[in-house]
Amino acid sequence: MATESEGEDEGKLPGILNLVVDDDLREMAKKAAWSVSSCKPGNGVHFLRDDNLETYWQSDGAQPHLVNIQFQRKVKLQLLVLYVDFKLDESYTPSKISVRAGDGFHNLKEIKMVELRKPIGWVSIALSGTDPRETFINTFMLQLAVLSNHLNGRDTHIRQIRVYGPRPNPVPHQPFQFTSKEFTMYSSIR
Amino acid sequence: MAMEAVLVDCINTSLRLYMYRNATFLCERLCAEFPSEINLQLLASCYLRNNQAYCAYHILKGTKMAQSRYLFALSCFQMDLLREAEVALCPRNEPNPELPNGAAGHYLLGLIYRYTDRRKIAVDHFLKALEMDPFLWAAYEELCILGAAEKASDIFGESAVLRLQQKHLSWDMSSKYSESGADDHSTLLGTRSLSANDSSPRHLKQLHDNGHREIAAHSQGTTVGTGKGTQHSNSGPPNVSLYSTPSPVSTQFSAAPPPLYRNAHAQSNMSMVGGEGSPRSAANAVNQAPRKKIMDEGKLRKSSRSSSARAAYSQVSGRLFSDSGLRRSSRLASDTSSQASSNASHVGGNGPSHSSAKLFGSFPSTSKMNSGSGRSGTARKGHSWSTENFDEGRRIDASDDAGSDDMAVSRSAISVSGDDKTHLRDRTNSVIGVAPNSSRIASGALELLGLLRTLGEAYRLSCMYRGQEALEAYHKLSQSQYATGWVLCQVGKAFFEMVDYLEADRAFSWARRVSPYTLEGMDIYSTVLYHLEEEMRLSFLAQELISTDRLSPQAWCAIGNCFSLQKDHETALKNFQRAVHLNPRFPYAHTLCGHEYVALEDFDNGIKCFQSALRSDSRHYNAWYGLGTIYLRQEKFGFAEHHFRRAFQINSRSSVLMCYLGMALHSLKRHEEALEMIDNAILADKKNPLPMFQKANILFSLGRFDEALKDLEQLKEFAPRESSVYALMGKVYKRLNRPEKAIFHFGSALDLKPCATDAAAIKSAIEKLHVPEEIEDNL
Repeated sequence: MATESEGEDEGKLPGILNLVVDDDLREMAKKAAWSVSSCKPGNGVHFLRDDNLETYWQSDGAQPHLVNIQFQRKVKLQLLVLYVDFKLDESYTPSKISVRAGDGFHNLKEIKMVELRKPIGWVSIALSGTDPRETFINTFMLQLAVLSNHLNGRDTHIRQIRVYGPRPNPVPHQPFQFTSKEFTMYSSIR
Repeated sequence: MAMEAVLVDCINTSLRLYMYRNATFLCERLCAEFPSEINLQLLASCYLRNNQAYCAYHILKGTKMAQSRYLFALSCFQMDLLREAEVALCPRNEPNPELPNGAAGHYLLGLIYRYTDRRKIAVDHFLKALEMDPFLWAAYEELCILGAAEKASDIFGESAVLRLQQKHLSWDMSSKYSESGADDHSTLLGTRSLSANDSSPRHLKQLHDNGHREIAAHSQGTTVGTGKGTQHSNSGPPNVSLYSTPSPVSTQFSAAPPPLYRNAHAQSNMSMVGGEGSPRSAANAVNQAPRKKIMDEGKLRKSSRSSSARAAYSQVSGRLFSDSGLRRSSRLASDTSSQASSNASHVGGNGPSHSSAKLFGSFPSTSKMNSGSGRSGTARKGHSWSTENFDEGRRIDASDDAGSDDMAVSRSAISVSGDDKTHLRDRTNSVIGVAPNSSRIASGALELLGLLRTLGEAYRLSCMYRGQEALEAYHKLSQSQYATGWVLCQVGKAFFEMVDYLEADRAFSWARRVSPYTLEGMDIYSTVLYHLEEEMRLSFLAQELISTDRLSPQAWCAIGNCFSLQKDHETALKNFQRAVHLNPRFPYAHTLCGHEYVALEDFDNGIKCFQSALRSDSRHYNAWYGLGTIYLRQEKFGFAEHHFRRAFQINSRSSVLMCYLGMALHSLKRHEEALEMIDNAILADKKNPLPMFQKANILFSLGRFDEALKDLEQLKEFAPRESSVYALMGKVYKRLNRPEKAIFHFGSALDLKPCATDAAAIKSAIEKLHVPEEIEDNL
């Protein structure tokens, strides 16, 4: 899991400046289709994925603002992180975010709702299902909805979004992954 | 005319001293002033040495002479214009063309056919190349890679020795007729083995063909004109620089300096009969001094050969020739060959001949001669024949042989008696000098063949992936040969293919200590370190390799492996792609790219990469394996099985391959075969836990729980800290309805910190333990 420094129960997440993600997670959304409900010209959707924290997406419409991530096949997702900065964006900083998942636009269901309090940095949202033991959700589509902003701003800025999921088993069709070196050494040919 | 000669001289010196810009500039002036195809060849060779194949390509386009076509084909090959290269070497309207440069031509043609996927013809050409030149190791290597090599003892064995002796014979034949020193290419490259009868007209013809060339291109560079093994090391710049074709015999003579030949040719130009002249005195180095002694061309050549043989063999502390001479003559006398008697008479008459000292040098080779006596006997026979003829024919002035100051390096113990006598002796001794030299050559060649035989057999076995046998073969080498970079890397590779990474690591690190500048084979070493998960050492290796040569694909492969070990597959992929760009014919770089694509789940590109690897080397089992894993993931089990089987057919010793083949068979529901294959895998390598685990998995899915448990218990003993073993045992116990055991094992599995997916699976399995089997969901 990503390192966080608060309790999840409150739902109020500060941001962390240095993102550290577990080794057995990998970024899943490179091949996904990203779309947004609206954007200001010059601050389009691709700024969400450009690995540049200076650039941001700015919405340009009515709330809620939506970011849609559609995958080519059902994927296991564990973690969603986004980078926001209250100091720079003030009233554009999102404060209430709802995460929804489903097969498509027609059957999205909310899986998580978080509130942010003047966050500066990376905010991680764990995507466990309702069962806390299940650390993953298996889905075709993820939707991030910004329901309200700080200081009642209308539009929102988000600087970067990343989605993480588990790595596939290096040995295909095996029930469990190997952990010890003696096993991994022999588990494949390179 | 004179300017041309001087220019050629300068160019050759520059080439010899690696001053390529100078050589190129002068050569361009030469070609402008005296345009001729020979000069063009020289210019092309300047360009080729300076890595400007495209220049050579343009200037040689359309040329017809053999050597030009060879150089042109070489340039095309370097520019990856394989079609043109092929046409240049085998022009279509000639039904059965003779390939320029004999063995080297066949080798180049073989390479072209190999890279255009015409394996059979490639194999034919490599075999022909080896026939012509049994020391052409590179051709044997290619045969091994193509999987078509016969036993090394066939190639580097009896027949090779016989062929060599024929060549010795023809060397002497040719030497006698080499008035102008224009002996086509060394018979060692021998497109023709001259017989005494034929040599004369042929020689003259060669002279005619090449005389022009002789004049124009005096250097070692175009030794095509200077025949005999001596020049071989220098024959044709492309040979030397690119294919290391030179016979080892000639390397003995590598000391033969160009000035000598310059002299020789200069002499030949100025006076057909070797006369004493200023060129000789122009010869510079002391070690060339003794050679200057020899006057006429024939002697010049022979003596250069002999003196360089001496240079190779001799110990500076001279031995009195007289003893050796006597020994030699007696040995020769006892030779059983028919002509030996006549030979012996010659020899006998020469007894202690002093000036021959410089010709014969020391005699460590005498013992070798003895050992090779049977064969060298034949050689001597041939030589004695030539000796006879020589004697009849020539009476060339040996006047200056007595040039005593030039004998500085020779056995000074010998006193030179009266001129005439020495002259006579000199001549005959130089004649005799031929015979022992050739025998020495023969024995040297035999030794070399022996070495190549051992190495060849070992290499062939390692290409056949018979690792254990290959290792035994390598151990037959002497310690000094064994402890060299190449051999140690091959040993490491053999261990690698037998999946013994620790031993491979040892061999490779020894190799790095012995020759830290060697890059070949380091890609495999980086993979070994990757498997051993030695991050520090792997990154250290990568850094070292990059600082040695930024443009070598192996270095970039090592860096890529570094990143891959840290699970940064995108960067790893970028690095592997760089390796591919640097050398698109390097199959391993393609394979590694493929593995990274698979890790990134980009299967289409992965397939493409593995197929590119197979295009360069269809016996690259790693690529077959890679394709198999892709199809396994895509659940195309039939394809997976096919590809794993291909990999297995190439490398039948790898327990990992057997295991994967078993897994594919299991997915195809051919359970019996699967279990059989997995059992083989277990037998093949006791230390490999993967097949045991897979077997347990298969047994579990077949419902044979008790057997599965037995195997898992064994595995637990073997690797007590492996989470997946406990997890699987937990599953089995769960199915056997023994929840306490199941919980115990699941708990242990969780304690051993499995990855998140597995942890989640195990936790939910524990939760569902108390739910009856029927409504359990998929675990």
